[in-house]
Amino acid sequence: MEAGLVKAPIEVYRFDPTHDRAPRYDRFELELAPHTPVLTALLKIRADSDPSLTMRYSCRSSICGSCAMVINSKSRLACQTPIGPELERHGRIVIDPMRNMPVLRDLVVEMGGFWGNYRKLEPHLIDNPERPMPEGRPSSMSPEEVERFKETPRCIACGACYSACPAVEHDAAFPGPMSLAKLYRFVVDPRDGGQRERLLKIQPGGLWLCLRCHLCTEACPKDVRPSERIRDLKEMAIALQGATEHGSKHAVAFKENIRERGVLNEFKLVRQTYNPIEMLGQVPQGLKIRRKKPEITQTPKPIEGLAEVEKLYEILDDEPEATK
Amino acid sequence: MHRHDVVVVGAGLAGQRAALAAVEAGKDVAIVSKLHPLRSHSGAAQGGINAAVGAEDSVDTHIYDTVKGSDYLGDQDAIEFFCRSAGPTVVEMEHFGTIFSRGSDGQLASRPFGGQGFPRTIYAADRTGLALLQALYERLGTESFTLYEEWDLTRIVVGEGRVQGIIAFDRRHGDFAGIAAKSVVIATGPAGRVYGRTTNAHSCTGDGIAAAYRAGALLKDMEFVQFHPTALLESGILITEGARGEGGILKNVNGERFMSKYAPHVLDLASRDVVSRAIWTEVKEGRGFPGGYVHLELMHLGRERIESRLQEICDFCRNFAGVDPVTQPIPIMPGQHYMMGGVGTNIRGETNIPGLFAAGEAACVSIHGANRLGGNSLLETLVFGKEAGIHAAAHAEKASTTEIPNGLVEEETALIRGMSERKDGEEPQHLRAEMQATMDELVGIYRHPNDLTEALRRIRALQTRYQSVRVVDRSSIYNINLTDALETGHMLDLAEVIVIGAIARTESRGAHARVDFPRRDDVNWMKHTMARRTATGPELSYAPVAFTRWEPKERVY
Repeated sequence: MEAGLVKAPIEVYRFDPTHDRAPRYDRFELELAPHTPVLTALLKIRADSDPSLTMRYSCRSSICGSCAMVINSKSRLACQTPIGPELERHGRIVIDPMRNMPVLRDLVVEMGGFWGNYRKLEPHLIDNPERPMPEGRPSSMSPEEVERFKETPRCIACGACYSACPAVEHDAAFPGPMSLAKLYRFVVDPRDGGQRERLLKIQPGGLWLCLRCHLCTEACPKDVRPSERIRDLKEMAIALQGATEHGSKHAVAFKENIRERGVLNEFKLVRQTYNPIEMLGQVPQGLKIRRKKPEITQTPKPIEGLAEVEKLYEILDDEPEATK
Repeated sequence: MHRHDVVVVGAGLAGQRAALAAVEAGKDVAIVSKLHPLRSHSGAAQGGINAAVGAEDSVDTHIYDTVKGSDYLGDQDAIEFFCRSAGPTVVEMEHFGTIFSRGSDGQLASRPFGGQGFPRTIYAADRTGLALLQALYERLGTESFTLYEEWDLTRIVVGEGRVQGIIAFDRRHGDFAGIAAKSVVIATGPAGRVYGRTTNAHSCTGDGIAAAYRAGALLKDMEFVQFHPTALLESGILITEGARGEGGILKNVNGERFMSKYAPHVLDLASRDVVSRAIWTEVKEGRGFPGGYVHLELMHLGRERIESRLQEICDFCRNFAGVDPVTQPIPIMPGQHYMMGGVGTNIRGETNIPGLFAAGEAACVSIHGANRLGGNSLLETLVFGKEAGIHAAAHAEKASTTEIPNGLVEEETALIRGMSERKDGEEPQHLRAEMQATMDELVGIYRHPNDLTEALRRIRALQTRYQSVRVVDRSSIYNINLTDALETGHMLDLAEVIVIGAIARTESRGAHARVDFPRRDDVNWMKHTMARRTATGPELSYAPVAFTRWEPKERVY
């Protein structure tokens, strides 16, 4: 083996629905420099061993978003993932198509659902009568306004976040992290007149299906941090119309609930989140819990040092940013 | 059979802008693209878009800089129109929602770019192309049009003296289809991948340029190939000129800021051809680092400035070169970057074939002449994309209905399917690699006549071998091996035109530097090369350059 090269066992998901009954993994042994991107390794496989291996790729510089795939269980861009650290950690490189999207063939997935969710959120500027575009010249935007976009303009719509998201897997009504980060980009745009409608629409539109696991933020190759922007949308939605959904009621209740006794009062939390009729639906679950863990259904005693907890809450009330 | 008034091939900035203009003119419009629109290579443009909107700047200065940058091969009437359109174009894109970088006064920020007398390059960090692409896609998304996504163009159909439509291949389902159209706009971008060492995406294979050439369109000035001075050493990934605009400097192995020898006035911000030749000369004369490269240093700019204004560049260097530009120099070498040439058009995007239009890097108006200035290409996609769309719609308004002739789709299908049915033959990726090695080695920054002749011999041999190209993949679903084969065929045609044009042009002008003819020759060569396809290869003719107010001068920076 040439100096500086390492042995790279690569296992690639293969499936062609026109003639394969089931998916399989093809194994390739390559010798490559450790900083070689996975995309380069795959192109080498196509050039030297198997030109029928199919995938999407274009820019090879993490700006076109084509080559998102699952590499050693993580959704990421093949062009941006060097093989060395993967081999050190896992001893091999296993490559699968993105999740949460049907496989078309090999590493190519059908992204219609992903784009469809994005389009549903009306991703375009809506006229803002309060701040019309100045005739014949660009609009002005203060540094503070520019700052509010955060990292959302970096999004390349690769789909890695969508592939990593358990809420997408759980419920097709969830628009997905990329679409919500995009929505945020329009909500904070001072040129956009649809802010209110966008927020009103999104609260019952799946926003609260996000459970803040942050896998999207971990997966994002451009550091867009979708989960943080989803959190911002949640806060803005509550600020605009109060807590109207189970998710938002739950979030608000959670905060007040702990403040009372310094510990979560689970039984009360159910009452704070659901109305009486909805609570009926929770009865079987409640009985089950009571059988197994009776203490949960009882009102807990206030913890020692409750005054310290109250101080924390006061700090947070004064400086909401400190929660982030 | 599909049918539309206007079919735009390519969905980057030029294609989308053309489509928007044609939709706004009330036409039934389709976009055919081998990539999802947001995957287009326009999104990789980093540095910015030029517009002389600053209080002390003037449109005339922008025109002059562009004329001079073109080494007097740009058509001055087109350049005047182009520079005058810059301000309104940037305003329009801002109103569409582009998130540009701004100064503390809330106005659009601008940075200096090479070869220009004023900092007029408006930008969005170092992802200006992406910012524009997103905004245009969002704006176009509010209109009604048909998108043929992940379809490969195989042929432009011309008959009865005009365009009749195209034939394309639906990659996801494996079907060929005729798409009849009164007007066709080619906006498929460049063919940078004829070279191996290129900043271009893998998908930049000049499909539309080649299809237009095969259909009888004239290709213009194809020998003018721009090498970007600063491509990352191994991967060829672009390091924007904005890095030097922000104050980055080039150094050789002796730690010398060598640009002071080549461009004493503007140093590292000389025109791209000048800087690329300087780097090449340094390395050739032994003042490069071992392995043959020079350094681009940003360290002195400080972490804050580097990480805020050159965010993507930081990521590229860290991810793809293992170098942190905040603390380390960036290893760079020039790489193929831009094709000044393309399908010859006039200011309206019209080609020599009625109903066939072209715009963006696939076209040659010519704005850039022998050398393009940084920040002018994004502007070109939008200005001339719009013009092509407007005039394609106007043509469709007058034109009668077209048909794809009977049997033609079947004929095309059989021809291309034949590649998959061969038992032996060469695989396209091998032919492509040999072509790229040939172009890298023999048709680079400095051009030697013997090298060019040898390149022509090798490209023609590859064309012959391509006759028996073999597609190994038999699947009907997402067969990119077939795409490889189609693209390689396209690029071999274009490589031949580049080389023939370079052999014929016995002068040095802009990006075309002949070692045996080191001077510009305005007496014999102030003219555009026009290539027409014949059975025996490209046949060259020449067309005059349009002059308005600027007399040719020697070009010094």
